[in-house]
Amino acid sequence: MKQFGIILKFELMSYFKNKVFVGITIFLMVLIAVVMFFPRMAVVFERSEPSGDEQKPVMLIAAKEEMTDAAIDMFAAYFADYDVRLVGQSEEIQQQITSGKANCAFALTGPTSYVYYVNNLSMYDQNTYRADEALKSICQMNAMVEGGISAKEAGQILSIEIVHETESLGKDQMQNFFYTYIMIFALYMVILLYGQMVATNVATEKSSRAMEVLITSAKPASMMFGKVIASCLAGFIQLVCVFGSSFVFFNLNQSYWDGNGMIRSIFDVPADLLFYMFLFFILGFFIYAFMFGAVGSTASKLEDINTSVMPITLLFIIAFMVVMFSMSSGNVDSILMIVCSYIPFTSPMAMFTRIAMSTVPWYEIVASVAILIASAVGVGVLSAKIYRVGVLLYGTTPKVGSILKSVWKA
Amino acid sequence: MNLELKDIYKSFGEKQVLKGISFTAESGKAFGILGRNGAGKTTTIRILMQVFPADSGNVQMDGQPIDYRKTGIGYLPEERGLYPKKKILDQLVYFAQLKGMGRAEAVKSVGWWLSRLGMEQYRDKRLDTLSKGNQQKIQLITALAHDPQIVILDEPFSGLDPVNAMLLKDVVKEEIARGKIVLFSSHQMNYIEEFCDQIAIINNGKTVLKGDLHAIKRNYTRDKLIVFSQQADQIAANAGLSCKACGEGGLMVSLASPDEKQKVMRHLTEHYDIDEIRVFEPSLNDIFVEYTGGQGEEK
Repeated sequence: MKQFGIILKFELMSYFKNKVFVGITIFLMVLIAVVMFFPRMAVVFERSEPSGDEQKPVMLIAAKEEMTDAAIDMFAAYFADYDVRLVGQSEEIQQQITSGKANCAFALTGPTSYVYYVNNLSMYDQNTYRADEALKSICQMNAMVEGGISAKEAGQILSIEIVHETESLGKDQMQNFFYTYIMIFALYMVILLYGQMVATNVATEKSSRAMEVLITSAKPASMMFGKVIASCLAGFIQLVCVFGSSFVFFNLNQSYWDGNGMIRSIFDVPADLLFYMFLFFILGFFIYAFMFGAVGSTASKLEDINTSVMPITLLFIIAFMVVMFSMSSGNVDSILMIVCSYIPFTSPMAMFTRIAMSTVPWYEIVASVAILIASAVGVGVLSAKIYRVGVLLYGTTPKVGSILKSVWKA
Repeated sequence: MNLELKDIYKSFGEKQVLKGISFTAESGKAFGILGRNGAGKTTTIRILMQVFPADSGNVQMDGQPIDYRKTGIGYLPEERGLYPKKKILDQLVYFAQLKGMGRAEAVKSVGWWLSRLGMEQYRDKRLDTLSKGNQQKIQLITALAHDPQIVILDEPFSGLDPVNAMLLKDVVKEEIARGKIVLFSSHQMNYIEEFCDQIAIINNGKTVLKGDLHAIKRNYTRDKLIVFSQQADQIAANAGLSCKACGEGGLMVSLASPDEKQKVMRHLTEHYDIDEIRVFEPSLNDIFVEYTGGQGEEK
């Protein structure tokens, strides 16, 4: 136990003495500070330099003469954020768009058909939907006027507004999507980065032969647990620094972020979710870092590390992908996700996502966490055994089977 | 104090590495463990240091099973290496602490050893800025700083210049004088001969010879003569003895039995012009080759 403490302290101090570690942490904090203070600085910037009238994007409309009046009125109403102009010839349209004088154009070929011109079609371009609606309105209006309803009345009928409210009794995915996304991403980054650091760390000790002295001075289990817990603490401290500083900087500039719902929702994380993040981070970290450590001990050269850790990295990336796809599809309670939230290698991210974005009964959480804790301990003990066998094997990287066989016998 | 290894057996998978290693090392004396590459020296040392358990046999200290909490062991491995990117003082204190020292005590002891080996100017340097010989001196401190009762030195002299080798010799002699059990493992027979009173030769996982080095030499069958003569060729051709040339123009004469010694000596001195004639006393090197040579090298 005393040895474990000494190893933990030594490993942790080597993180804090590592200039890259300290540098990256400070860099991230500064970056967050810049982002968080940006609106405040932007306000100062705008005041000192009064901006001219905002230029609206230009939209061109080409239509047959009998339609021009109705079209220009209706399109101007539907596209209030555009400067809608009328042009005569459709040849003119293409030329103006390619030269950049106009952003897009509608050439109405009939009462119910048109061609939409745009230079580069954006993924989120929804102008055609609005144009469909505009044309439909023109047709409906005309039909109603022909049927004897006055134009004013027809206009009123067409512009009836529906009011609605949504009340989510469970969780609101619109609200919690962003912070869940960020937390999952942080979980992913930290576990992968620090896990690989554990592997490299072990392999470095082995290849520099410091292991020869270490293995005769300390118990393999103390060394494995000391290393893994030290890097877990280092990763956790880094997370706290980054998230903590962004929270502080956000609160300093809170009033400047009022208009940005996404940023506001990120900082609106419930406290219990932070607790779950902490829990799943620690457990997920352990299970992967132990595996990384064990693999690191079997590599005899530092160059072998990248190929040796590939299966673990792949496993982790698959878990990450499953969670990310489920998140963006909105269905976080699919069968796949439920299964994944009990498998120890995927549950840190899968169960956390389900807790964050859906309503999970408490007993499911307890079961998932219990499986995870048991597996983390199991993987820890097994990896300490692999470590003891692995660190003394030099030469070619041994096969998985022979390692497990010698672990079984040891 | 005496350290006794009794009938140690160990196999890795199908391969039996140790097939009965036994020897006893006493405090205040240096003990040499000899063996060819792959004979089982390092495995023996690792079992002694509890890196892995023996399949059977045991390690005893003064007749009792060894208590590792009380008995400190210092080890200079043959494969040298520490943390290349870390400060020397930091890592030496760390290793001393791992061996059970308190921090203040460790700092003090490491400081003492750095100045004893003339390395105090490097205490805040990174290890990889030092020359190979100096790195080795630093590594020696990891074996000695925690004041262990048992010191195991595996090829301690390889890679040292004559001045540093001298310094190491002095240090080892001091440790022996302080009543430590010093175990040497080496291929350099001259160092073993210089230091070790007792030896064990390990071959193919078995102790093939052990005991007091002087006694071993004395008890060696005295059935060979070394003859230096201007007429060496004639002796070889005519004397009717089994002869073979040995170094420096000498001739080694093998006798049918040690009893013939006087007779053959008289015969040779009477009939030939002899410069020098004496009974052949084997060097450790000869003994080593005799006990371990002949069989193919195993790994």
